[in-house]
Amino acid sequence: MDLKTYILRRLALMVFVLFGIIVITFIVSHVIPADPIGAILGPQAPPELVEKVRREWGFDKPLPEQFVDYIINLLHGNLGKSIRTNKPVAEDLIRFFPATIELATAAMIVAIAIGIPLGIISAIKKDKWPDHISRIFALMGVSMPVFWLGLILLFVLYYQLGIFPGPGRLDPGIEAPPRITGILTLDSLITGNFEAFTNAVWHLILPSFVLGYYASASITRITRTSLLEVMTQDFIRTARAKGLPERVVLFRHALRNALIPTTTVIGMAYGSLLEGAILTETIFAWPGLGRYSTGAFLSVDFLAVMGSTLLIAVIYSVANLVVDILYAFLDPRIRYA
Amino acid sequence: MSGKDWIIVIVLLIVGLLIGYFAAGPGKTTTVTVTQTSVKTVTVTQTAGAPPPPTTTKTTTTQPKAQMKTPADTLIIAMDTSDAVSMDPARAYEFTSCFVVNQLYDKLVDFELPDLVNVKPEVAEKWEISKDGKVWTFHIRKGIKFASGNPLTADDVVYSLQRVIKLKQTASWVLTQFVSTPEQIEKVDDYTVRITLDKPVAPSFFLATLTFTTSAVVDKQVVEAHAKNGDMGSDWMTDHSAGSGPFVLEKWDREAEIVLKANPYYWKPGQPAVKKVIIKHVPEPTDQLLLIKKGDVDIATDLTAEQVKQVEGTPGINVIKVERTHIVYLGMNVAVKPLDKEEVRDAIRYCIDYDGIINDILLGAAIKWQTVIPKGLLGANPKTPYKKDVAKAKELLAKAGVPNGFTIELTTPPTYPQIDIATKIQADLAECGIKVKIVQMTQSEMYEKYRKQGLQLVLAGWGSDYPDPDNNAKAFGDYRVKQLAWRNSWYDDHAADLAEKAAVEFDNNKRKQMYLELTDYILDHGPYAILYQTLAQHVARDYVKNYLPDPTFFLEDLSKVSKAGGS
Repeated sequence: MDLKTYILRRLALMVFVLFGIIVITFIVSHVIPADPIGAILGPQAPPELVEKVRREWGFDKPLPEQFVDYIINLLHGNLGKSIRTNKPVAEDLIRFFPATIELATAAMIVAIAIGIPLGIISAIKKDKWPDHISRIFALMGVSMPVFWLGLILLFVLYYQLGIFPGPGRLDPGIEAPPRITGILTLDSLITGNFEAFTNAVWHLILPSFVLGYYASASITRITRTSLLEVMTQDFIRTARAKGLPERVVLFRHALRNALIPTTTVIGMAYGSLLEGAILTETIFAWPGLGRYSTGAFLSVDFLAVMGSTLLIAVIYSVANLVVDILYAFLDPRIRYA
Repeated sequence: MSGKDWIIVIVLLIVGLLIGYFAAGPGKTTTVTVTQTSVKTVTVTQTAGAPPPPTTTKTTTTQPKAQMKTPADTLIIAMDTSDAVSMDPARAYEFTSCFVVNQLYDKLVDFELPDLVNVKPEVAEKWEISKDGKVWTFHIRKGIKFASGNPLTADDVVYSLQRVIKLKQTASWVLTQFVSTPEQIEKVDDYTVRITLDKPVAPSFFLATLTFTTSAVVDKQVVEAHAKNGDMGSDWMTDHSAGSGPFVLEKWDREAEIVLKANPYYWKPGQPAVKKVIIKHVPEPTDQLLLIKKGDVDIATDLTAEQVKQVEGTPGINVIKVERTHIVYLGMNVAVKPLDKEEVRDAIRYCIDYDGIINDILLGAAIKWQTVIPKGLLGANPKTPYKKDVAKAKELLAKAGVPNGFTIELTTPPTYPQIDIATKIQADLAECGIKVKIVQMTQSEMYEKYRKQGLQLVLAGWGSDYPDPDNNAKAFGDYRVKQLAWRNSWYDDHAADLAEKAAVEFDNNKRKQMYLELTDYILDHGPYAILYQTLAQHVARDYVKNYLPDPTFFLEDLSKVSKAGGS
């Protein structure tokens, strides 16, 4: 099977996965005994008003009918309207997702920059002190709650030392560039607004470090494990026997093979970062998808819940696919079947 | 492995770590200057009738002034604005939306904080009421201009109020409860408007509802220019303004910031005192704390009680406390035995340690209040007869025929401080022999059940939609409006009649007496234990002048707020 057929087949399978997710999310979000209208109108609202609004939103219809309506709308590319923001869900997602893409990408860069070198050090200095240190460092990354690390970093680096800016994406007083992609660093570059660019990057550092540090732990571990495994294999012994310098053995032969499992971990980690990191986003006042979807869940905003779940499902499926395709580039032995 | 390879790996690591670090150039270094400045806690108390000026409870005077890090002509507020939906006055019904709308528009009449009893003229200079109390004639102030430069006339007032009725949004009931059709609002001449009510109501009641943001006057010409598909401009108004208020909505970047700039045509001389207001969306209270302590924002509105305690006494920072028109109560469903017995409900009221809740759980972010109309409003009743008295409670339980207590469910939202309060009540009631099972539900789930009378004991709150006692009196006393009395199955005709009569009483003194009688009656017979009235505790840098937190959620007026040394 060639690559094109493989991708097409995977995309077709994705449709089924997504449909399954829609059905489950729909049922779960509709059978819980909560009242979205009440949540929006507040405790004071008179019952007649609650009924009226419920009719307006079509929540008085039988569940199967609501489901069919939803699917028909979805096929027309219409995700419906959020009860909470009173805006089309698609518009909301477009507004909040870029901030998450920006943060997740920056965090991924940090995670790779920390994770892979640490994993390599750990493997080549197995059971010696550099290994212990990098493993402890990685362990701290997974075990430290992100909100705690975030607050500590803000407290020390922003409040006490004043090195980094406070929460938010830009300083007040810095004019945001016109919205093109919604990714501030990119938009400011495109429009040549370097003041905003510098400021946006500066604001990005702490949150992406917090998120990236957390994600780096699994990368460190998997790099270490798979590198250790590869180093014991015959072709490494052969390479050494040929008299190749250790550097060449490590980087050209061992690392390339060891990075295959790492790629999977990175792909999945990126997928989960794109889901939006609610705690990090809250602490750094970062207007991303995590905050939007959590808000939607808490106020039982059905259509927003469905829309964001669907987006996350698509991200995961695509991340999976991309990882599988990347395998072929990293290891020519892998064929699509 | 050779030393050379080591170096490569280490360099890789360091480069990786530093990529992000120096991407933005060298770090700003800031020297932290500690200056001795004044510390004070300002407590603003509202009293019915004659509001006293803000009283300073604690002041230590020291010089010099704190450094101002933010621009002198820009007021920066850190606030959780995640609830905002629309800045259209016909739509706004959330805290943030109403807070902003009130800066953008003038209303027919208004309250001047902290007074919540005497309505003051705003767009309407004066008004007359017909003898039967149904027909109101408002005389519009001449010389008011919108931010567009258009003059404000009777046409705009008629259009604005009719627009609220026609758009039928959630908040519209505040107006339509008296004026059900658009035709009841008419233009008499360019500066006179006549409003005919469905039936007469107490004048102070109607006027109080006119201070809500639904009666904001919009610029008819501008709004109509942006109307599409018969939406009367509502879509455009979501993030634009067309008002005559002190500020204009410059930008609303959702989940980031709301920016207001001064309206050059504002009619009150010398106002607004600042050129720009930036409301930064900061959802995390700890961030707000860091920002205000650092001086990067001028006002923070959502600190936790613990954090407020922490900043109290910090040089350069003032804590301003105002009683909100919001009370928190324990509802007791009379349909559930033995809560049907008055002695049992009374016993529960004697079991609760009110001071413990206020001081230990809320850390002072509330005042002790036990009647259903909050302090500050007409007819507020300051009686607090209930305090923890286990012996008395047990005696009452014995009298009711349940000397050994009973088991009951208490429903609470799974949030703080509600859970702590519920646990405290559980422990308090256990001392009297009443076994409480705590049931946690999200707010939306809880209210769904509560509306269907499906709860036993419930921990809930009630905030006033407008500063008139009727809002609370009917909710708590009149089961016919199907609000709190009904949800707790308390079908008391005496209370319901009294609430209805007070709503149409023309004589304000008599009206006040009626509410005192009603609140007394509910205090003894009602299905509630009022736990406390909440305090708004806002924190401001000491150079911020004339800032008063709003006891409601739509009366905040930033037009007089200035920064010392500002323009």
